[in-house]
Amino acid sequence: MSLRGDVRAVRAVMRKDIKVALTQRLLVGLGIVIPINFLLLFMLFAIGGGQAPTAVVMEDHGPLAQKFLTAMEGAHSFQITLMSAGQAQKEMSAGHIVAIITMPPSFDSDLSAGRPVELPVVVNNLQVDFTNDIRRAVPMTVTSFYAAAYPGQVTVRASEVDVQPSDTGYIPYLAVSVAVLGLLLAGILQGAQSAAKEHEAATVIELVLSPAAPWAIVAGKMLAALALNAVSGAVVLILVVVLVGAPPAHPVEVLGFALLLMTAFASLGIFVGNLVRRRQAAIPLALGTSLPLFFVSGPFGPINWLGQLNSVIAHVSPAYYGIAAFQHAFHGYQAAQTSLVEDAVVLCALAAVGLMAGATTLKPRSA
Amino acid sequence: MFPPMYEADAAVELEGVTKRFGELIAVNELSIRVERGEIFGLLGPNGSGKTTTLNMILGLSAPTAGRIRVLGREMPKEQRSVRRMLGTVPQETALYEELSAEANLRFHAELFDVPRHGLESRITRLLELVQLQDRRRSPAGTFSGGMKRRLALARALLHEPDLLFLDEPTLGVDVHSRRALWDHVRDLRARGKTLLLTTNYLEEANTLCDRIAILDHGRLVVIDKPASLRQRFGDTVIEMGLDGKATPDLLLRLRALPGVAEAVQPDGVLRVSLEGGHSTAGAVVTLVAAELRLRSITQREPSLEEVFLSLTGTQLRD
Repeated sequence: MSLRGDVRAVRAVMRKDIKVALTQRLLVGLGIVIPINFLLLFMLFAIGGGQAPTAVVMEDHGPLAQKFLTAMEGAHSFQITLMSAGQAQKEMSAGHIVAIITMPPSFDSDLSAGRPVELPVVVNNLQVDFTNDIRRAVPMTVTSFYAAAYPGQVTVRASEVDVQPSDTGYIPYLAVSVAVLGLLLAGILQGAQSAAKEHEAATVIELVLSPAAPWAIVAGKMLAALALNAVSGAVVLILVVVLVGAPPAHPVEVLGFALLLMTAFASLGIFVGNLVRRRQAAIPLALGTSLPLFFVSGPFGPINWLGQLNSVIAHVSPAYYGIAAFQHAFHGYQAAQTSLVEDAVVLCALAAVGLMAGATTLKPRSA
Repeated sequence: MFPPMYEADAAVELEGVTKRFGELIAVNELSIRVERGEIFGLLGPNGSGKTTTLNMILGLSAPTAGRIRVLGREMPKEQRSVRRMLGTVPQETALYEELSAEANLRFHAELFDVPRHGLESRITRLLELVQLQDRRRSPAGTFSGGMKRRLALARALLHEPDLLFLDEPTLGVDVHSRRALWDHVRDLRARGKTLLLTTNYLEEANTLCDRIAILDHGRLVVIDKPASLRQRFGDTVIEMGLDGKATPDLLLRLRALPGVAEAVQPDGVLRVSLEGGHSTAGAVVTLVAAELRLRSITQREPSLEEVFLSLTGTQLRD
């Protein structure tokens, strides 16, 4: 068949896949809900895991005690609530707080007289991560307090020079990475279930016995997956911008890489669907593949900071290039060793390899 | 455009075709030639190699050894150049159940690059041919088995192929739909199409096929016209329910009658195969009734199992 005929087949497969998908509203709904669900889940994890809920009992309200409280608030490790001793004890017993820090009644007078101050810190050491947060943050607060209250006595100070023009919060960084996971999931899920369904219903025979080139059929399926994922992709990106408050530094880059990511991951999904040939297997496999790819790709911070081995592993994952490109598109900095062009080339190559692998594996089982 | 084909080319030609799956030999040294304009039946029990053979002819899998040519083209090497000339009604129908009958046909037309000009009327004509015009906009998933097969046939004809493959075309289809499908198939031959069908039903092969090939264990058992095959076994079978078992002597005397091909009593029923018309039937019944009381008599055509049994000496496997 001519190239014109193949292009016609691409359009036909795309239209057909969209029509068929729209009759399966539950699956379309899942394709939208799952990526959004993951975004919200990770946000909750990040918000919940960021700061330890801590009760502060102020038995002294003097100016030094107030300065100490300010130093605690500046430590970014406590989620402080002021309470009475009895109330704090009750909250601790109920398991609502990690620690109680009590400002003793003689805090100001002892400090002014140069007497040592005992600061009672009660920690619920149920979970070591939160416990260590408290253990690290209290001495840090003491140092900050001294630097602020007695500037002449603290002679060693950090002179910070920021490489980036502004700080990036943990949540905005993570949210951008999770957006890539959303696109990854949406692409793989849509591609895998669309391909697996052709095998389940034996309609793959109609496709492979046509004169259309196998690449044209897979390309049509990729475009259909792209169109169907546009909704979930858009919702995920809007949530990142509006809910998380991470406006893109380069909106065109966001759009371009979002399309490229969904195309590449859809092609991967089609390949997976052709291999397993059953939606029942394809969907959990898509989920099971996406999450490890995501976790090894530096979603929580630049992967190079996690050591050589992690960096090497990350380079194998396509999500790494997606996260790197998206961090640049949203925050304007390069979080990975690869350049934007390299990221784009790798994702294009992945889409091409997925297309070829999908075309090669597009065969009925009996063949 | 495609390179020219010569009318001398057979529609399908298999030469010493073998297909192995590991240790299993699914098709063994198979040589068949299907002429243009004929209806050719590929018969055999499940697992005989029919579907594997059909898959190789369609280019879905490559033979381990041997050579396959379809409309003069080497398969599977030149399969893409010949696909436009082939139509297939697969056993599973391969219809998109969520899409309407019309949408299924339109999708097929796009895939096969059928010209847009005149497509609407062609779809209408084909839906009328398979009597589905009134269900044009109904989803294929709401159709009965027979309706699905008819729609699959209309789809296979949409791009006007020269050679049609029908894999178990009437499997699970009710009697009325089966007859209607047979009519369509005969009509296609009248229009000069070549048809290759696989079936488990001898009646279907008898009714439709110009020639049939019987496969078993991947080997060609016989290739002939249905009439010739019937003559090998007998063209009529008389089944007699008896009060008692026929003696070996009675069986010998029955076999000695002119026109009796075989007389056996594997269970309570005595089966006598006749060839050369029904004139011997009276003599057979008289001879049996003289020795044993008859409870029932039926007369029918030989079944595939009987032809198969007579040709191979083994039971037809399911």
